[in-house]
Amino acid sequence: MTFLRYLQNTKLSELALLDLAYIVVLLPLIIMIKIPMLLFVLTVFVILIFKKSPANKSMLFYVFILGVVSLYFSLYGAFSFAGLSRLRLFLELLIYLLIIVVAMQRLKRVINFYLLVSSFLFLALSLFFYHSLLMLVYVIFEVFVLLWMILSHRMQGDIVEGFKGSMIMFMYSLPWVVVLFIFFPRISFEHADYGFKGELTKRMGHDGTMYLDGNALLVPSKRIVMEVGFDGKVPPSSQLYFRGSILYVDKRDHWEPIGKSIKRENKIHYLTNRKPISYKVTLYPTQKKWLYLLDIPSQKVEKSNLDGDLISTVEKDIDEPIHYKAQSYLDSNYSDTLDETTYRASTTYDATQNPKSYAVAKSIMSKYNSSSKRAKAVVDFFKKSSLTYTLKPDALDINHTTDSFLFDKKRGYCVHFASSFASMARMVGIPSRVVTGYKSDRDDTLGNYLAVRERDAHAWVELYISKRWIRYETTNTASKIDTSGYGDLNFIQKISKQNKFLKKLNLYLMYGKYQMETWILYYSHTKQLILFEYAKKNPQIILAFILSLMALIFLSFSVVSYLRRINYNSEALTAIQPLLKSLKKQGYERQNSESMHQFFLRYAEEQTNHNAIKAIKEIDVCYEKISYGKNYSKRDLKTLKTFVKKTLKRL
Amino acid sequence: MKSLRKFIQTHRSIRQHATIFSLVVVVTLFGLFLEAYMHDFNLVYITLFFVFSFAFSAGPMGVLNLGNLHVSFAKQRRFFANEKSNIVLNVNNPTDTTLWDIKLCKDKNIYAHIPYIKAKSKQNITLPFTPSKRGFFTYEGCYTESKYPLSTARLTKELDENLKGIAYPEPKGIALESLLQTQETNIGEEKEFDGLNAYDGSQKISHIHWASVAKGEVLVKHFSKETDIKDLNFIFNNIRGDTEFRLSQLCLWVLTCEKQRVSFSITLPNKIINSHKKSIDDILKILAKY
Repeated sequence: MTFLRYLQNTKLSELALLDLAYIVVLLPLIIMIKIPMLLFVLTVFVILIFKKSPANKSMLFYVFILGVVSLYFSLYGAFSFAGLSRLRLFLELLIYLLIIVVAMQRLKRVINFYLLVSSFLFLALSLFFYHSLLMLVYVIFEVFVLLWMILSHRMQGDIVEGFKGSMIMFMYSLPWVVVLFIFFPRISFEHADYGFKGELTKRMGHDGTMYLDGNALLVPSKRIVMEVGFDGKVPPSSQLYFRGSILYVDKRDHWEPIGKSIKRENKIHYLTNRKPISYKVTLYPTQKKWLYLLDIPSQKVEKSNLDGDLISTVEKDIDEPIHYKAQSYLDSNYSDTLDETTYRASTTYDATQNPKSYAVAKSIMSKYNSSSKRAKAVVDFFKKSSLTYTLKPDALDINHTTDSFLFDKKRGYCVHFASSFASMARMVGIPSRVVTGYKSDRDDTLGNYLAVRERDAHAWVELYISKRWIRYETTNTASKIDTSGYGDLNFIQKISKQNKFLKKLNLYLMYGKYQMETWILYYSHTKQLILFEYAKKNPQIILAFILSLMALIFLSFSVVSYLRRINYNSEALTAIQPLLKSLKKQGYERQNSESMHQFFLRYAEEQTNHNAIKAIKEIDVCYEKISYGKNYSKRDLKTLKTFVKKTLKRL
Repeated sequence: MKSLRKFIQTHRSIRQHATIFSLVVVVTLFGLFLEAYMHDFNLVYITLFFVFSFAFSAGPMGVLNLGNLHVSFAKQRRFFANEKSNIVLNVNNPTDTTLWDIKLCKDKNIYAHIPYIKAKSKQNITLPFTPSKRGFFTYEGCYTESKYPLSTARLTKELDENLKGIAYPEPKGIALESLLQTQETNIGEEKEFDGLNAYDGSQKISHIHWASVAKGEVLVKHFSKETDIKDLNFIFNNIRGDTEFRLSQLCLWVLTCEKQRVSFSITLPNKIINSHKKSIDDILKILAKY
């Protein structure tokens, strides 16, 4: 309260208001400007603090020289344009020049037109460099603060009145902004490829190589790797396999793909009559080239490659969030004709490396002729082997990984299951390969939204049976689950009620963030068309939109009415306002020349209702006591309020 | 609907003029539009729409701010030709909110700046005024101006009515006292005390000598220049000079007589005016209209 009272009495000078505006608009730019320029800004800031008089010509000259030197060192090395888009360099140069000019103008301690306008220029320039949800919030804040400062200036530096005024304007503007944002015609140009520094943290979980030893990439983190918005319902958990990479080569301690230099000629023949499902993906920076598509992708994503193994990749590592649309069939198998290289890679194994497994495989081979029966026998063997799923497995014997896992340690997680299964499948004569990627769960869905996390990283196996690649969830062969490790993974979820609530809450927040990014940050011409098409087909959406807009207008006007309400200095006067309003409706209004006591007397004289007269007199006495009595307590005020309430009922 | 009708009515009474900041808004909107369109940046679009909406909503806010202010001419004092005086304006805020940044202007010059006027309050503002000649005049070209809230538009509102007044002739010439001295006629300046006389009920109460009353005798003070003055008669044709000078001279004497509470009459070529029959203002008005 004291602080608010202090604020109410504070009148800021024009320069102070301008400084506040500059601090707000410069903050996002401070993060991106180079250190020499940052030092220049700090120097000017220090001068402004300690030197209260306007700078003379010599000081301005020194500041100018310092600014130019800072500019030179800030852009030193960038003149070759290496690593920088030309536009970005130009914008940086523009910002630096503007900083120097503004610093010199500000040191003069005189406000001029250019100083006022430059703050808007800084805001406009900062928009080139950022494009994130955080920046969206900050931009709205920036716009509001600038408005606040302008109005405070207009209101003689009164920041409280300025705040009220700017809030009123902001609320008036909000419905307009919403309508304009939705209906303003867009074009489908792509976003510029510079900027967007909001999300640089590398997402983990999937790698092109699958290690079985201590190098295994086990990331039990809840951090979101990608967000998926399905056009329809989210498929069941058993079909939420996102394909990452295909590993053919067993290198004892790890699996890796077939070398890029080896030529392969694969032709894919889809055998499905089902319609593909459509979905949109927001993939956060992974510093890898893979685009994760739901098994099995029906077509390649724009500006990406889809190889014979149905693996989607882009040219450059993904170092910023990307958005793509994709389509997939929800089948766990597809037809394929193997070329010689692929066939050889998917059947290679070293019998001497895992003799125990090979012995079992031989017995299976002798028992069953068909590949499918042999595969089933391998699954059965895994199931009978009392394998335990754990995130804290004992170290395997790297020279005999399959034997070590199946016959000795019997403890592991997805990579150990997948590796052993793929090896044994090859031993029984079935071409096999390991697929790594993400396996999500419907627990992480909200409506048509699915969040895929780092901990969803997974490995499974595909077997080539009857000219079709068939997916096998090898982890399902585990007999036991050891929850002593990281207890929050998908396969070992035993979540308490409280955790479930937090998880749901977190999911709602993520969903909100995703929807805002989709419909605000990445709202485009295409989305506009989709929205209009949807509205054409579903006219009720137009009604819903109009109702929502009316609700927003109502909210805006409610806030405006609240801010425009009269603030009375006297608590007693505030307390009797409802009564005065009610009396006004009856035709009794207090005259300017009339005291409250005279007004109440006049009212009482014209009344015939004794109860009303009595009530008014009670209020009159109480009001006079509070207004003019030396000592009145909170209790008296409470009594007055109670009297007013009672009287309102009687009138 | 009533409020909307009132707003439209208010809006009609106000004129909007562009300022340098109107140009800044236009340039900003254009720049942001290019930035947004070129790169399809929704952040820029949002900023653009906010700037547009602020500029758009600033209009009605400014109209309500200036339109709700009532400015009228207060009761004025006498005006004389070529004499500096003030026009008094009554500025009234009948609304429940504070009105901001009001300027009172005339002929594109700002004469008074009211930073704010609180809810339900009044202020008197004076504007300098010097009538150039005697006779009727109309004080016009007076208007209120405000750049609230964003300076993107300068709103002006003319006063509901112009002030129609009359400027009396410029009071100048020979002072009445000097004239009377040359004619050995003094008018009642109570300068020299000349003794005490008995009170007979016809003297001024202010002349009663209260010290003697305290002693039981009612006496009145007598002054040497308190001689009885005959009614003064100013003859227009006898005054040397042109018509304007004569009128100015008469105006000066009329004002002196008013001050000294002396009756007089003026003989104009076609009219005789007597101060017993007409008020001073009416006499001055006749002189102004002559």
